[in-house]
This record gives sequence, structure tokens and C-alpha cells, in this order.
Amino acid sequence: MRPRLRRRGGVNEALAEPLHAVPAQREAESFEALYERTFPRVYAYVASLLRDRSAAEDVTAQAFERAYRKRRGYRASRGSPEAWLFGIARNAALDELRRRKRRATLEHDPEDLGSPSLDDHAETALRREVVRAALAGLDGPERDLVALKFQGGLTNGEIATALGMSESNVGTKLHRAVTKLREACHDAA
Amino acid sequence: MTQPETHDLDLMDAALAEGRVTTADPAERELQELALALQADSAEPRPAFAEELSDRVKEGFPRKRAVPNVPRIPRPRRMVPVLAAAASLLVALAVALPLIDGPDNKTMSTGGDTASPPPAAQSESRSGMTQPSPVPPPGGPGQDFAPNRAGRNIERSASLALEAPGNELDRLAEGVARVADRQRGFVLRSSVSSGDESGGGSLELRVPADRLRDTLRELSALGKVRSRSESGQDVTATVVTATDRLESARAERSSLLRRLRRADNDTQAETLRQRLDANAIEIRRLRGELRSLRLRTNYAAISVSLSDESRGDTIGGPGDSTKDALDDAVGSLQDSLNFLLRALGALLPVGLVLAGLGFGGRALLRRRRESALA
Repeated sequence: MRPRLRRRGGVNEALAEPLHAVPAQREAESFEALYERTFPRVYAYVASLLRDRSAAEDVTAQAFERAYRKRRGYRASRGSPEAWLFGIARNAALDELRRRKRRATLEHDPEDLGSPSLDDHAETALRREVVRAALAGLDGPERDLVALKFQGGLTNGEIATALGMSESNVGTKLHRAVTKLREACHDAA
Repeated sequence: MTQPETHDLDLMDAALAEGRVTTADPAERELQELALALQADSAEPRPAFAEELSDRVKEGFPRKRAVPNVPRIPRPRRMVPVLAAAASLLVALAVALPLIDGPDNKTMSTGGDTASPPPAAQSESRSGMTQPSPVPPPGGPGQDFAPNRAGRNIERSASLALEAPGNELDRLAEGVARVADRQRGFVLRSSVSSGDESGGGSLELRVPADRLRDTLRELSALGKVRSRSESGQDVTATVVTATDRLESARAERSSLLRRLRRADNDTQAETLRQRLDANAIEIRRLRGELRSLRLRTNYAAISVSLSDESRGDTIGGPGDSTKDALDDAVGSLQDSLNFLLRALGALLPVGLVLAGLGFGGRALLRRRRESALA
């Protein structure tokens, strides 16, 4: 029976169908659809954690390959494919962070990513710098949470699945992190 | 999560979904602008990288094998059925092996001074092969023997399981009794029952020892022989000992009588009379023992089990009935359950420890990963 398509958060959810429940050819197509749908967000999330374009590319590729190899192990009952994929990407990024012991340099090497382009409006560029400065003031888990929400584009429920927390807890922590960011932005202004 | 928190998060979600600020309230507007700014600060992948990764996804991430044709170790999840099958086989073997040496090895030898036959005893199967009996405990009765005796005293016994053709169980029982009578023997005990549920019987015969073979031959001709066994036990030493002790007791009696006739006073005479009384008891006991031994060696004991051919059932037989089979099955089931319970008792703690280690390992790995964010 053809799976019913549904929309959530403006994203086509064709892959909400369990990966293990579809034949091999359709399975590959499903994974491709998942890739097309999530690739920019996964990259943005990984890059925000690693703050290194080259490492972000390696880890993003590694995460998708890992997910492809493990796709038969995906269970729809444990959450959406996005939550599952971001969990894999997060583990890969954290492993990379630990392996390279880059934390000390991360905080002092943020300029590699997202440098303002020439056509950036001055006000926008200024605001971006203020936000980045505020982000740098958050602790690691808070930055991770903000990255999953705003770079990864996950819902609170998906973040909860990826982190192994309750949705309510995710909401509370996210609100706390955003409040800190607002205060930091106010102070900077 | 409080209501204001929920409200703030909903506002941010609305801005992210619409891609623009959706409210005029300054505080709410500021929150939505922050959400949009955070989203806009996302790094974008290089087009070349995106194209390369897209190609790999389309190709299904082909593996680059350094060493071709190296057999891969199966993943644990795929090995589960194999391991389960191997474990089941081991359990089945462990349960079945003790049952292999079960009731089939029962012997049907009878009599002797003790329940276990001495080395001199031999059992003979229907095939005619003479098999040595199990060695009894050292020093036990019957282990003595009397060499260089011309006439050996052998206690003989046999057992025979007969199947009556059709429903002629009563006729078969009568035939057995007639054979015993013809061979100058007698029926010591008999029990025959007929009916739908418990047809069968058993007879205990005594026939002169020298007619045992003839008797067995005639009995075997009465019906279908399902099993037959013979055994013999040499009790010559016991007979010799009892005879010697009886002669000694008689000699002592003659001596005591002579001394009694010559006794000088009443006290001496009374003492001798008391010893004569004890001597008389001993002589009576030894005579009884010798008489019993003579009966056992002069007459052979034959145990005949009867069964109905239509039922294939034997009372007193070696456990061939449906009830016995059912009992065996229940026994086997109990053995299996006992084994499984013991195995469970041993495996459960191990499983719990392994599960604890697994959860602990995962928690540790998670904490180590999370430490990269701290």
C-alpha cells in the first residue's frame, strides 16, 4: 500500500515511512529523499558544532554514510527519520570534537564559517556579529540545543528524541538558552 | 514548561515556519527576529561538496575495500538465530544424554544370599551368550567360594515374558501351570487378570533344578517369547560353611552331654545344661539354613510374565506398557524442566550482569561524548 504523504513544518515527509519496511530499491530512493531534504541542515548543524568547514564536510559525509549503512536498523517507533539522522550526525560530530580536542581552539577560531559577504547590509552584518558573540557566551550543551533547533530545523520533539530527553525538558532548556541570548544581545546593544 | 515559555517557543516556531516576523508587539518581534537571525546564521555547504556527496548517496556509498575477498564477520544481530540454534542443540544434548542409559539396561536376575549377585553368579541372555554379572562390593556375603568341591551347589533362576495369542491369556496361564506340574514342579504364586484395561499376569514357579532347561523349553512353546533370561549363583561356600558349623555344633553337643553325665555338683550341671540349650538353638538354626539352601539349589525359580498380544502389555515386565511409556515421558519432561530451571538459575544472574554492563557502557559512552560539549 502506498504510504500517505503528510506535511510537517513545510517539509515533505515521504520518508516518514519506516526505512526497514520498504523494498531495497524504494529504500534507496527513500534514503535519497531523506538526504535531499536534510543535507543543508545537517551540514549547518555539524558546522555550528565544529566551527571548521573542512571537518564539517568530513563529518557530514561520514554521518550520511553511517546512516545509509544503518538504515535497516531505523525504527519508526523511536522517532522521525530526521531525529534518527541528526542523532547519528551529532554522535559523529561529538566523536570528532573529542578526537581532535579542538574545544580550546574552537572558541578562538569562529571566523572560518559564515564570514559576511560583500553584499551584506551593514545592519544585518552587525546583528549577525552580535548574535555570534551571544552564542559564544552559551555553554556547550546550550549551543548544541540552539544548533539543533535553528540550524538543524528540528522540532522540540525531534530534538528530544535525538538527545534522549523529554520534550518538555527540551522546551525549558531551549527557552533558557534563548533568554540568555536575548540578554546577551541587549547587553551588546 | 510554563505557559510563557510555551508562548515564546510558539512565536519562534511561527517565525521560522513563515520566514518572517509575524507580530507587531516589540518584545515578541524581538524574539522572532532573534530566531530568524539564528536561522540565517547557518553555514552553507560548498556546491562541489554537495554535488560529490549527492553522487555518493546515489551510488549507495560504495565501499573501498583495501583487502578484497576477506570474509566479513557476521553482525551480532545476524548471529542470533545461529547462536540460539546452537544453544538449543546443547540443551537438547544435555537433556537427552543422561536418558540414553535409562531403563533398557535393567537385568532380570534373581536370588542368592543378597540382592546383588556375587562373582560366581552369571546371567544368561536368550541369545545364549553368557555375560558376567556386575562385581559386588568387596567383603560382602557370597564372595567366598569353595574350590575343589566335586558337587557344586548352584542356585538357579530364570524369567520369561510370554505373549498370549489373541485373547487367550487364561489358556496360557493354565498351560504354564500344567508345564510346572509335568516337570514335577509347582506354582508358588500366580496373578492373572483380564479385561480391556489391565489384561496380563505373572506366575512364580519352582521346578527341580535339573529340569529347568526342559521347563523353559516347554514354556517357550506356549506363546510368543518377548524376553527370557537365566541366572545362576554358586552357593557352595555357604553350604560348606553351614555344614561344617552344624558338624561342630553336633560334636560340641556330644561333648557337653558326656561332661553332664560326669558332673560332680548341681552348679556344674546347671551351667552345662544352659550351654546345651544354646547349642540346641544353634543346631536348629543351622539345620534350617541348610534346609533352605537345599530347597533353593534343588529347585529353580522361574518368573513368568504374561501379556495379551492385542495389548502388548505385561504386568511385571520390563516397563513396556503405555502407562510406563507415559511415566517415562513425564519423567523426561521433569528432567528437562529441572535442567532448564538450573540453567535459568545460572544464566539469569549472568544475563542481568551483562545487561547492567551494557547499559553502563552505553551511559559511559554517552557521557564521554557529551564531555566534548562541556
